[in-house]
Amino acid sequence: MKRSSFAFPYGLWMLMFTVVPIFLIFYYAFTFMGEFTLENFQMFLEPEFLGILGHSLYLAALCTALCLLVGYPAALFLAGRDFKRSHIIVVLFVIPMWMNFLLRTYAWMTLLEDTGIINRFLEWIGIGRKKLMYTESAVLMGMVYNFLPFMVFPVYSVLAKSDYRLIEAANDLGANGAVTFWRVTLPLSVPGIVSGVTMVFMPAVTTFVIPRLLGGGTFMMFGDLIENQFLTVGDWNFGSALSLIMMALILVSIGILNRFDPDGQAEGSGVL
Amino acid sequence: MVEDLRLIELVGVSKEFDGCEAVSNMNLYIRKKEFVTLLGPSGCGKTTTLRMIGGFETPTRGQILFGGQDITNVPPYRRRVNTVFQKYALFPHLNVFDNVAFGLTIAKVPKADIRRRVEAMLEMVGLKGFEKRGIDALSGGQQQRVAIARALVNEPEVLLLDEPLGALDQRLRKDMQLELKKMQQRLGITFLYVTHDQEEALTMSDTIVIMKGGHIQQIGKPKAIYDEPANAFVADFIGESNILDGVMERDCLVRFAGHEFTCVDGGFGANAPVDVVVRPEDVLLGEVGEGMLRGTVRSVLFKGVHWRMMVQTGDTLWKVDSTQMLPEGSAVGVSIVPDGIHIMHKMEEAAKE
Repeated sequence: MKRSSFAFPYGLWMLMFTVVPIFLIFYYAFTFMGEFTLENFQMFLEPEFLGILGHSLYLAALCTALCLLVGYPAALFLAGRDFKRSHIIVVLFVIPMWMNFLLRTYAWMTLLEDTGIINRFLEWIGIGRKKLMYTESAVLMGMVYNFLPFMVFPVYSVLAKSDYRLIEAANDLGANGAVTFWRVTLPLSVPGIVSGVTMVFMPAVTTFVIPRLLGGGTFMMFGDLIENQFLTVGDWNFGSALSLIMMALILVSIGILNRFDPDGQAEGSGVL
Repeated sequence: MVEDLRLIELVGVSKEFDGCEAVSNMNLYIRKKEFVTLLGPSGCGKTTTLRMIGGFETPTRGQILFGGQDITNVPPYRRRVNTVFQKYALFPHLNVFDNVAFGLTIAKVPKADIRRRVEAMLEMVGLKGFEKRGIDALSGGQQQRVAIARALVNEPEVLLLDEPLGALDQRLRKDMQLELKKMQQRLGITFLYVTHDQEEALTMSDTIVIMKGGHIQQIGKPKAIYDEPANAFVADFIGESNILDGVMERDCLVRFAGHEFTCVDGGFGANAPVDVVVRPEDVLLGEVGEGMLRGTVRSVLFKGVHWRMMVQTGDTLWKVDSTQMLPEGSAVGVSIVPDGIHIMHKMEEAAKE
């Protein structure tokens, strides 16, 4: 038996559940009632839909930036020489990810509700209740919370592998802690950042559960729009066209990001 | 020329790692423009000593003085020393020029000066025209040169070198040894060099510091250390030696290998047990009947300039180096002139002192 035949089950799986569906999406996107048409794409050019896309990209970008801002220092801390062998702290970062994604988002709802823990605390210290649920901030909060590990781990894995002798060499050449970070540590962790940004931005831009639960349907994101077309409106053709547009956007952004990481050094996904 | 000014001084310096002493109560000074080599087997504390002077390790006890000032707790980036690291530690995200310019850029030297100095330095190490190359596109020897240029361009008062030639092949090592020595003399910079290669140490150094187990065994000029090793460990580590158990019968008379020999050492006391060290080239072979001992050639190896013969006399097997080859199995007379016999305190006793 040839070695390559071991891959047969996987090939079959790919064919049935990836290749065929993609063909179907292409078929639906370019047809209406069985006739070839570009109308599905033209429909998307209406300001309402473009606005939804723009807003999704904006929120996803904001979420990615926040994840980087919070996640990078965390990764730096985890990869520090003192903690390198302390797996406990790494595990503490992983444990929340073992919990179901929906459960975690529901947990945020009980925190943010009008009668939730945060509001009761605000009331208790005399600030008074604030409207936290069903706001854009709530959605953003939920996204950052859920996608943060996807930023921390790729950056952590690159930093943990980095050579401490380079830090010593920089110190030796007159660079103090801050200068060493900007000139050596940060540039060398770019592959991790690229990988982290990709892994956060992709799911962030297509997310639809978080905005629905924490945003309460007050505004739509691109993922919600696609979901609506299939499940509520029943316009599979328009839904397929939207999916293709999404796919094209993701491919383009991967292409742009990969230019910053030509060697493909980042292996962040392996940690998960 | 070496100046008589103590540039770096270690005063009672010890370093412990997890309660284990790597360097123990070390006292050492390095003079201006001196080429000092720390020599010893791995784990002898030589690299730890270098790292303490570079500022990468803090001594557990003791003081490090630089030009008379205490720098024990000064961070590496404020010390006027630069290091050539064992595996170079070049910055992989920077090209050759930017690697060499790193220190000057941080010191905010004007751009034009940086360009001039980096280019002069690259020319000196023979890498002119390599400015735009990436580090990965260089051979080991070229990376080595970049590492040296990166350190020297800052015009440090002391250059620390941690086994800088360890990763190079034999031929390149020899060339680089000579080049480094020339650079050191031309620039008038103090070099502190760490190696486990005794030949390298003998070739390059003004002063050799031999270390073992965190203790200094001997400090001296290369020739003095080779000719008059302080103990059997030094004798064995520097060059090759026949090390034999002996008894000092009285001054200038020692018994070993079943015979009495006249020697030039004394002051050990009557009938004191000693280590006797004889260099292979000091064992002279002649006709049977000549010399003090009678032996048989057991094996012969051609070593280029000389032959290495193993000669047995009684229970003793001698390493003998000679340009005259005697065939295996031949009977020989063995003699040793008094100058060739080095008497040392037994190692255990030397350690106690």
